[in-house]
Amino acid sequence: MKSVYVAIGIAAFGIALPSYADGQLPAMDSERPVLCLRDSADEVWRIQCDPSTRVCLYAPNDELDASGRNRVKALERARTCELDAPFDRKRMEADGYTFVPGKVDAPYGWMRDERQRVFQINFDLKRRMYFGVAYTPEKVLENPLASTRTSIDFGLLIFDVKSGTDAAPTMHRFRLFEGQVHMAPFSSEIVMAHYDMSHRFIDPLLRITTFFGEPERHDLGLNLGMWNEVGDLELHPTPYGYSQLWRHATAQVTLDLWQSHDMDSFVRVRTGLGLEGQRDDVNGYRSAIAFSSAFEADTVLDKNGFHNLQFEFVHEIPRYFTATDTTPLLTQRFLAHLQYETVLLAINDQPLTFKLAAGGEKRDDLPGVPNTWAFVMDAGLRFNLWAPPRRKPS
Amino acid sequence: MGAAASQAVVALAIAVTCVAAPARADSCTGVNDKGARFATCFDPGNRLSITAATDGGNLGLGFGIALRHEITFDDDPDLEWKMSHVLLDGSHDALSSSFDALVYGGLFLRHSRDGHIVIPIGEPKKVFLPFDIGALAEVGRLDWHVGEPTATVSVVRLAPLVEFARTWSHRAVIAIGPAAHWDVAWDPEMHRVDEYRVAPFSEGLLDLRLESHDGLTVVDGRVEGGTAWRNDTGWKPEIRAQASLERVVIAVDDRPVALTASIQYDSATAETIAAVGARIVLIGKTDPRVNLNRLTGR
Repeated sequence: MKSVYVAIGIAAFGIALPSYADGQLPAMDSERPVLCLRDSADEVWRIQCDPSTRVCLYAPNDELDASGRNRVKALERARTCELDAPFDRKRMEADGYTFVPGKVDAPYGWMRDERQRVFQINFDLKRRMYFGVAYTPEKVLENPLASTRTSIDFGLLIFDVKSGTDAAPTMHRFRLFEGQVHMAPFSSEIVMAHYDMSHRFIDPLLRITTFFGEPERHDLGLNLGMWNEVGDLELHPTPYGYSQLWRHATAQVTLDLWQSHDMDSFVRVRTGLGLEGQRDDVNGYRSAIAFSSAFEADTVLDKNGFHNLQFEFVHEIPRYFTATDTTPLLTQRFLAHLQYETVLLAINDQPLTFKLAAGGEKRDDLPGVPNTWAFVMDAGLRFNLWAPPRRKPS
Repeated sequence: MGAAASQAVVALAIAVTCVAAPARADSCTGVNDKGARFATCFDPGNRLSITAATDGGNLGLGFGIALRHEITFDDDPDLEWKMSHVLLDGSHDALSSSFDALVYGGLFLRHSRDGHIVIPIGEPKKVFLPFDIGALAEVGRLDWHVGEPTATVSVVRLAPLVEFARTWSHRAVIAIGPAAHWDVAWDPEMHRVDEYRVAPFSEGLLDLRLESHDGLTVVDGRVEGGTAWRNDTGWKPEIRAQASLERVVIAVDDRPVALTASIQYDSATAETIAAVGARIVLIGKTDPRVNLNRLTGR
């Protein structure tokens, strides 16, 4: 009996491969069951029927060539399906089902084209290795290729790890060897290792009960976390040669003012202490304890991870143990940075992104450097490796 | 007599077959006349080795850790990440007291059966590309010659790569790409940086690696060239090239000992250095094709 059903099904789909020249084919639903049927030419087809719409989508179980007529290789990232299951097309057509050519479903974050080829359309830029180049709109006219306002940036390994439960998740964020180098004038910043952690607490840290009239409970949720960096090096030109600022270690407490449900996005404030030292050719090395605070926002603006926005405003107060002729013991640094990054295209499923950034800085800790705001804006491209699809929403 | 003789021949043949069957090792396992097995293939990508080499006037002693592995995916058997790592790779010249070292170097290649580019404008489109992609990253390379005023510290070196060999194994790499690096000339006496050199992807990089199927012969090569910016003199052309050949000649306790030959050129110093030496693997991963299990007769 089973073979009869299969034979009927085979006859049903042994018609022709779907033509996709006319438009977009509908895709099967990755959450619904799918059957595999073999036709009289021993070709396997996938079919998925929806009882609510009475539509059955069918598609070849292989990738097609450019003509769309010939099968060339097995499907990639396709789920297993039950082969040669009982199926009676005539009975289903009698029940009002229509059969429409379609595309095989793809895993979350992926899609198929009409030739059933799979490719990634969702990118998690918080799990990647990247490096890029950026330019400001100023060039050396004699040699347009030799820009003097060029910068490179890189992150050797960026990854977030989510743990805990859906109700009380914890996001661990790791950044290894991330930095940037600006040219003419030369400056750079590198962070060897960064770790920060956000947690969503189920139970409020503070609950206040009021007894004015009917007693009421008021929860005060404080989503506290931590922020740590070790091995931060900044290099800046000064009239006394290049200043090396070593932030040996910084530890801060964070308070998340807002967290997205998936914890990928947040707005927070943080504050803490760091141990640092600065060296230049004239004044030598002098160490400091730095009090630092920041307001920070990091958001993924769309579900596919194409649009990413970051903002940071940092205030640091290093208290040096030795003053210089031009800098006091207690100094201040203000830093603001805004960055937008979007996916332009993907090469072998590895995204190429466009970065647009603007920043400003005001500080009095660099010997001989005026304590005024300095602004910079640059735009560039980043090549990213890894960047898997974002976590599927629960 | 005839039947007895044929039975004896059959019995002898069975006995020979039973004894000889385990001794018929695969092509990467040798068997001596006493039945002892030995490796004839080696994995040059997973080892801790020391190298002694000379360029005629100097004698260098080197040390290095190489690791490599693959990352595969159950839901996409046509995709593989080939990861090669070099850790704490350095050498010290006993005569001139020069020293060079690399803290970490990585080559990451994403091999897929079909390369493609996705243009996500409107309905995403997939266009075929005939290459794999990947990246090269190096962190913390030091080159210090005692007597010279500065040591060269290559803080970071990066290159996105397109790779044309497109093999499932690590045995062949033919990759090119734009390269970025940030080098500093460090004055160890004054504890200051005398010069910064930055190439913001303004150089090209060609990386080659060929290994024989048995791992006995390895050829490596890299050429970098283009223009780099210096904080004192501006943009300058520069080129670096290096090539090496390694050939395993003997193995001691199945640990390979190889002869090496290398040549390198750097336009910054206008030097070409050639060296020959020997490399001994102290700890190495046994090639999975090698079977060193003791032979058992029946």
